[in-house]
Amino acid sequence: MRTLFVSFSLFSLLAFLVVLSLSFGAVSLSISEILSGFTPDSEFYFTIHEYRFPRAVLAVLVGAMMALSGALVQGVIRNPLASPDVLGVSQGAGLAAVVLMTLFPSVSIFWLPWAALAGGISAALLLWALCGAHSSAIKLAITGVAMAALYSSAVDFLMLTRPLEINNALLWLTGSLWGRGWDQVFMILPWLVLLPLAFWLAKRMNLISLGDEVATSLGVSIPVTRLSALAIAVGLTASCVAICGPIGFLGLIAPHLARRLVGGRHQILLPCSMVVGMVILLLADLLARTINPPIELPAGIMTAIIGAPYFLWLLLKTR
Amino acid sequence: MLNVFKNLPYLGQYFILSFLLCLFAWLSLFSWSIVPITGQQALTALLHPDKNIIAHSIVLDLRLPRVLVAAVVGACLAVAGAIMQGLTRNPLASPSVLGVNAGAALGMATVSTIAPWFGLFGTSVAAIIGGAITWSLVMLLGAAWRGGNEHGRLVLAGVAISALCAALTKAMIILHEDQAAGVLTWLAGSVADARWSHWQQLWPMALVGLLGAFLMSPTLNLLNLGEDNARSLGVKLGWARVICSLLVLLLVGAALSVAGSIAFIGLLVPHMAKSLVGQDHRKVLPIAAIMGALLVMIADVVSRSIIYPIETPAGAILALIGAPFFIYMVRARTS
Amino acid sequence: MSLSTHNLSVGYHDKAIVKDVSLIIPDGKIVALLGPNGCGKSTLLKAMSRILSPMEGEIHWQGKNLLTEPSRYLATQLALLPQTQPIPEGIKVKDLVAYGRSPYTGFWGRLTTDDNKVIQDAMDKVGVAELAEQLVSELSGGQRQRVWLAMTLAQDTPYLLLDEPTTYMDLSHQVELMELFKTLNDAGKTIVTVLHDINQAARYCDHLIVMKDGEIITQGEPETVLTKDMLKSVFSLNAQIHQDPIAKTPMCVVE
Repeated sequence: MRTLFVSFSLFSLLAFLVVLSLSFGAVSLSISEILSGFTPDSEFYFTIHEYRFPRAVLAVLVGAMMALSGALVQGVIRNPLASPDVLGVSQGAGLAAVVLMTLFPSVSIFWLPWAALAGGISAALLLWALCGAHSSAIKLAITGVAMAALYSSAVDFLMLTRPLEINNALLWLTGSLWGRGWDQVFMILPWLVLLPLAFWLAKRMNLISLGDEVATSLGVSIPVTRLSALAIAVGLTASCVAICGPIGFLGLIAPHLARRLVGGRHQILLPCSMVVGMVILLLADLLARTINPPIELPAGIMTAIIGAPYFLWLLLKTR
Repeated sequence: MLNVFKNLPYLGQYFILSFLLCLFAWLSLFSWSIVPITGQQALTALLHPDKNIIAHSIVLDLRLPRVLVAAVVGACLAVAGAIMQGLTRNPLASPSVLGVNAGAALGMATVSTIAPWFGLFGTSVAAIIGGAITWSLVMLLGAAWRGGNEHGRLVLAGVAISALCAALTKAMIILHEDQAAGVLTWLAGSVADARWSHWQQLWPMALVGLLGAFLMSPTLNLLNLGEDNARSLGVKLGWARVICSLLVLLLVGAALSVAGSIAFIGLLVPHMAKSLVGQDHRKVLPIAAIMGALLVMIADVVSRSIIYPIETPAGAILALIGAPFFIYMVRARTS
Repeated sequence: MSLSTHNLSVGYHDKAIVKDVSLIIPDGKIVALLGPNGCGKSTLLKAMSRILSPMEGEIHWQGKNLLTEPSRYLATQLALLPQTQPIPEGIKVKDLVAYGRSPYTGFWGRLTTDDNKVIQDAMDKVGVAELAEQLVSELSGGQRQRVWLAMTLAQDTPYLLLDEPTTYMDLSHQVELMELFKTLNDAGKTIVTVLHDINQAARYCDHLIVMKDGEIITQGEPETVLTKDMLKSVFSLNAQIHQDPIAKTPMCVVE
C-alpha cells in the first residue's frame, strides 16, 4: 500500500518536473505550445524537440543510472556513506577528459566521451588492482577517495600549466546538461542494457546486506556478486560521466531517500532509487538554469549543494 | 643512509635538517633566474647589499621574501597537520583532507568575486573564516563520535565538506568569470608572488602559532593516550581542544592567506617526522616544522624549473607528490 | 556421518588456528563446541559452514567435498548463525526472516504460500512474531539476536551451526533458546553450537567437543567429558563435578 502510494507520488512529481523543464528556459512556454513543439512545422519545434526535450530525456536517463549505480555500490560496500564518487570513477573520467582537452586540443570533441569512459573504467580497474577482491569495504572506499584526490590534483596540475581551455574544462568537470542533445541521448542508450543485469542482482544484494558470513551460508558467492555489482555500477557511472561530466552526490543521496521511502529490499529499492534520481537531477537542472538566467550553472553544482548537507546530516545521524 | 640518519641523536638530526634548510634557501636565492645570478652574488647581496646591481635587488626584493615565505608556510602547515593528527588521533587528518583548505578557498572566492574591493586583507580574513567554519564542522562531527576508531568516517566527512565547498567555489567562479584566473591560481597554491608585504603579514601570526604549538606539545602527548586517560591525567579536554583548534586555524589561515591552498604538506610531513623521532610531540613538532619548510622550499625550486621559464604553482607539484603518499597511508593504516 | 572433517587445518592470513583436526559430527544430536578463548572453536565452525576455506585437509558433507558441492544446494543443508551481524538499514523483521528462504526462491525472490508458512513458523518458534512489522535497526540486541535466529530457522536445513547464540540474551531467553534446541532436535535437526557456559552445555547438549590450541582434546557425552582433570588441563580451573539436582546432568563448581 505504502509502496503504491510512494510510487504514484514519485511518478506524478516526475511528470510535473518534466513539464516544468520543457516549459521554463530563455522563453517560457505554455502547455499547448509545448505540445505543438513536437510537430515539425511549429515555431517551437527547435526549442522543444531539438533542445529542451532531449535535455529532459537525458536528465531522466542519467539521473536513473547514477542513482542505480549508487544503490549498487552502497549495497555491496554495505556502507550507507559510500557512493560511486568515492570509487574515484568520476575523477578518473574527468582526468582522461582533461588530458584530451589540454594535451591533444586538435582531437575532435567527438572523442571526449570515449576518453572519459576509458578513464573511468581504468580508474575502477586500478582501484580493484590496488585493493584486491578480498579487502574490506571501508578500505575500498577510502582508497577510492585517495585515488580521487590523486586524479583531481593531476587535473589541477594540467589546467594550471595549460590555462587556455580552462573554462570549457571547468564547465565539463562540474557536470552539466548544457548543450546536450539527441546525439548524447543515443550514445547513452546502449548502456541501458545494464539495468536488467542490475535487477537480476537484486535478490543477492539483499543477502549481502546480512553480512558476508550469512550470505555465504545462504548460498551467495560474495566475490562474484560484489564484482558484478561494482562492474555494473562502474559501467553506469562511467557512461554518465562521459556524457554529462561528474554529477556529484546524486548516486549518494538518491538511494538514501529511496531507502527512507520504501525500505531496504532491493527489488523495490533499486527501481525507487532510479525514479528519485530522475526527480533530483531534473530539479537540479531546472534550478541551475533558472536561478540566474542567462548564465547557466552546471547541474552538478546544484546536486552538490543539495547533496552535501544531506550527507553531513547522515554522517551525524549514523553511528 | 636513512637508517644512519635515524640512529643519530635528536640534536644531530636537528642540525642536519637545519643545514639542509639553509643550503636549499641559498640555492633558491639564485637558481633558475632569467637574469643570471651566481651563488656568490646571492651571498654578498645578503651581507653587503648594493641597490645598483640588478642581481642584488632581485635577490633582496623578489627571492628573499619568497624563500622566507615558502619556509614559514611549510612550517605552519606541517605543524598544523601534526596538531590535527594528535587532536583527532587520526593518521589521515590534515588541513586538506579534512576540508579546511576547501573552506578557506570558498571564503576567499566569495569575497574576491562578490566584493573584490576588500583587497588582500579582506580575502585573507575571509579565507580564515571559511577554514574556521569547515574545521568546526569537522570537529563537531568528530566530537559526536568520540574516539579514534572512526578514521574512515572522519575522512569521508572531510571529503564531503570539501566537495560542497568546491562546488560552491566553482559556482562563484562561473557566475563571475572575470575573477576566475585569480581564484584558480590561489586554489593551486604558490609562493611565486610573495613579497615583503606578505612576509609582514605572515610572520607575526606564524610566530604566535608555532610557539603556541610547541607549548601545547606535552598536552598532545597525553591526548595520544585516549580521552579518558588524558582526562584522568589532568588534561582539561575542552580547553585543549579549543586551544589546539585556534592554533590550527591561526597556522593554516596564515599560510593559506599568503600562499593559497597548498595541500598534503600537513598530511605528509608529520608522518615523515614521526618516522624519524618517534611519537613524542615535543620532538615531532620542531622536526616537522623544519621538514615542512624544506619541502615547500624544494617544491618552489622545482616549480620554477619544471617548465622553465613558466612557473608552475608549487601547490600543484606538492599535490602530485602528496596524493600517492595519501594512497600509501590509506593502504598501510586501514586493513 | 553427514558432516565430517579430515585432517583439517584452517585459519587466517596463512596462520593455522585449527590444526589437523579430524572430526565426525554425530547425526541427530545437539553438539556443543567448548574451549577457552582463541582455541579455534569459532574458526572450526566457520570452516564447516564454508566461510573459511581449508588450508589443508577437507570437509565432507554426505561424503563429498564441501567445496565442490553447489553453493545453493549446501544452503538448503547447512545454516549458520554468526557471532556478530551487521544491522541492515530499512529492513523489517519479516523481510529479514524471509531472506532465509532465498535458497528456495527464484531470481526475484518471490515467496510462495509455503514459504510464508515456514517464515511465520520460524518467527513463532523464537517468539518474534509480534515484532514482524518493526525495523531490525530499531530492536534491542537480544531481540535482534532472536530475529537472526528465526532467519536461520527459515532456511529450514537439517543442520544448524550457531556461533555463541546466547550472547546478548537475558537468562530467560537463554533458557528458552536451549529448550528450542531440544524441540528442533526432536524434530530431527542436528545442532552444532559454540557455547561459553560449560554448565549450560552439559545440561542441554548430547555431545560435547572440547578444544584447546586448535586441537580436539576430548569429546563424548557430558558425563564422560566433564571431569576434574579436563577442567584443570583445558581451562586451568580447579573445580568439582557435582550432579545437577534437577536435570541430573553433571555440572562444575569452581573451587
